[in-house]
Amino acid sequence: MKQYLRELHGSRLILSALVSRDISGKYRRTILGQLWSFANPLTQMLVYTFVFSFVFQVKSMKGDPSGLDSFALYLLCGLIPWTLFQSSVMGAIASPLANVNLITKVYFPRMIIPMASLVSTLYNSGFEFLVLIVALALAGSMFWPLLPVALVIIFLLVSFAGGLGLLLSILNLQFRDTEYLLGILFQVWMWLSPIIYPISLVANRSAELGPIPGTGITLLDIYSLNPIVHFVTAFRNVMYDNRMPSAIDLGMCALWALVSLVVGFLTFRRMDSRLAEFL
Amino acid sequence: MSGEPSVVVEHVSKNFRQFSERNQTLKSAVMRGRVSRYRTFAALTDVSLRVREGETVGLIGGNGSGKSTLLKCIARILQPDSGTIRTRGRISALLEVGSGFHPELTGRENVYLSGAIHGLNRAKVSSLFDEIVAFAGVDDFIDEPVKNYSSGMYVRLGFSTAVAVRPDVLLADEILAVGDVDFQARCLARIEEMRRQGTTIVLVSHDLHNVAQFCSRAAWLDHGRLVEFGESRKVVASYSNSYRAGA
Repeated sequence: MKQYLRELHGSRLILSALVSRDISGKYRRTILGQLWSFANPLTQMLVYTFVFSFVFQVKSMKGDPSGLDSFALYLLCGLIPWTLFQSSVMGAIASPLANVNLITKVYFPRMIIPMASLVSTLYNSGFEFLVLIVALALAGSMFWPLLPVALVIIFLLVSFAGGLGLLLSILNLQFRDTEYLLGILFQVWMWLSPIIYPISLVANRSAELGPIPGTGITLLDIYSLNPIVHFVTAFRNVMYDNRMPSAIDLGMCALWALVSLVVGFLTFRRMDSRLAEFL
Repeated sequence: MSGEPSVVVEHVSKNFRQFSERNQTLKSAVMRGRVSRYRTFAALTDVSLRVREGETVGLIGGNGSGKSTLLKCIARILQPDSGTIRTRGRISALLEVGSGFHPELTGRENVYLSGAIHGLNRAKVSSLFDEIVAFAGVDDFIDEPVKNYSSGMYVRLGFSTAVAVRPDVLLADEILAVGDVDFQARCLARIEEMRRQGTTIVLVSHDLHNVAQFCSRAAWLDHGRLVEFGESRKVVASYSNSYRAGA
């Protein structure tokens, strides 16, 4: 294990070379270049805002204590971390197959490949986060003192995505279905997370229904098994509401990140030296 | 030239699974109730050999004899099922065509990526860059994506990069089978020069004449087993004799 870590550390030149390759290659031969990275969240934001805020006339959520009152910003505070999560996992899963020529021709610790994919995804979504920060600041959100907390949450989210990506990329080499199946699962997952609607609606429904007879388990308890609930809630608490997230949410973020990283790392390491055989 | 072995291969075996059915999708795995059906194919069986520092060793044998598999195991691209392989120093591998170039990247970017994989930082690669490009003779195309390269240019840039990183051990698979006569001659001259500088070289070749001429020792593999390992002329001679006898 120690030797593997030393080898990974010794391969940081490869990591940075792969990251700069991914970044410079991503929008090559496009006219709009990096601007494309805004297109997806921007479109989603416009469509969801139109449907929910204008057509369905969903009451926009007032930030507490920030007093912010904008459905679009509320949405972005959930959508942007979610997009980062989804594209990190999907990118990591696709990365071994996208680097067949490297894996079958030269040796280096293969974990560098999904790691590089994670770093470039993070870099690319950095622009989206910048836009979010500017938009929130213009709207008068006072998140500045808590910004380090938001960064910690993003760090934990990327770790969670990274571990999951490492684990699933191995599964994808065995069953190429994984990638397609996940495309569908991620849609379901998004709607089961408080991104487009506030978690308070789920809490209300849960209170109305009461616990499952004979147990103390409520709908909200089951809903909160979804790790993304905690990441999105905590991030939104900081950026939109301008308050410290609950210790439970932060703790769950840290716990999920740790479990995912350990499982993903160990699984990938076990297959690392045999990866070429699965391509 | 301390005489310490650069490459030690001890009792290495490698089996491949020949899949008569490989259920790489969940549907087929579930429907047939199994992930795969395969028979095991022994690509290498109990191969042991030592390559001394500064030595040039040729691997010879028919198609499917395990030469390339052995080379890939030494390069750590494949992991042996049993046995151990130890190597000393920086390894550079030229396996089949190209040494891990990315088709969408330009020649220049690929050279830097290759350098990084071999542990050279950007400054170090920059200092070698002109030499690499000049030797490969691809000056006009260095900022083109390598997918637009002719196969000859691709191989030349691969060779040029692999030798420029100054490996302690160079592993080469059939590098002389491609490229024009002029480039082959320059390749041989370069390999000869590296050999004089003390680089350990292991090469796979079907060109028995070259093996006899260039390699101090040769290893003859047949169906994954090491038949003979010794002075190259002798091994090449017994290999050709067996071939004639068989034919």
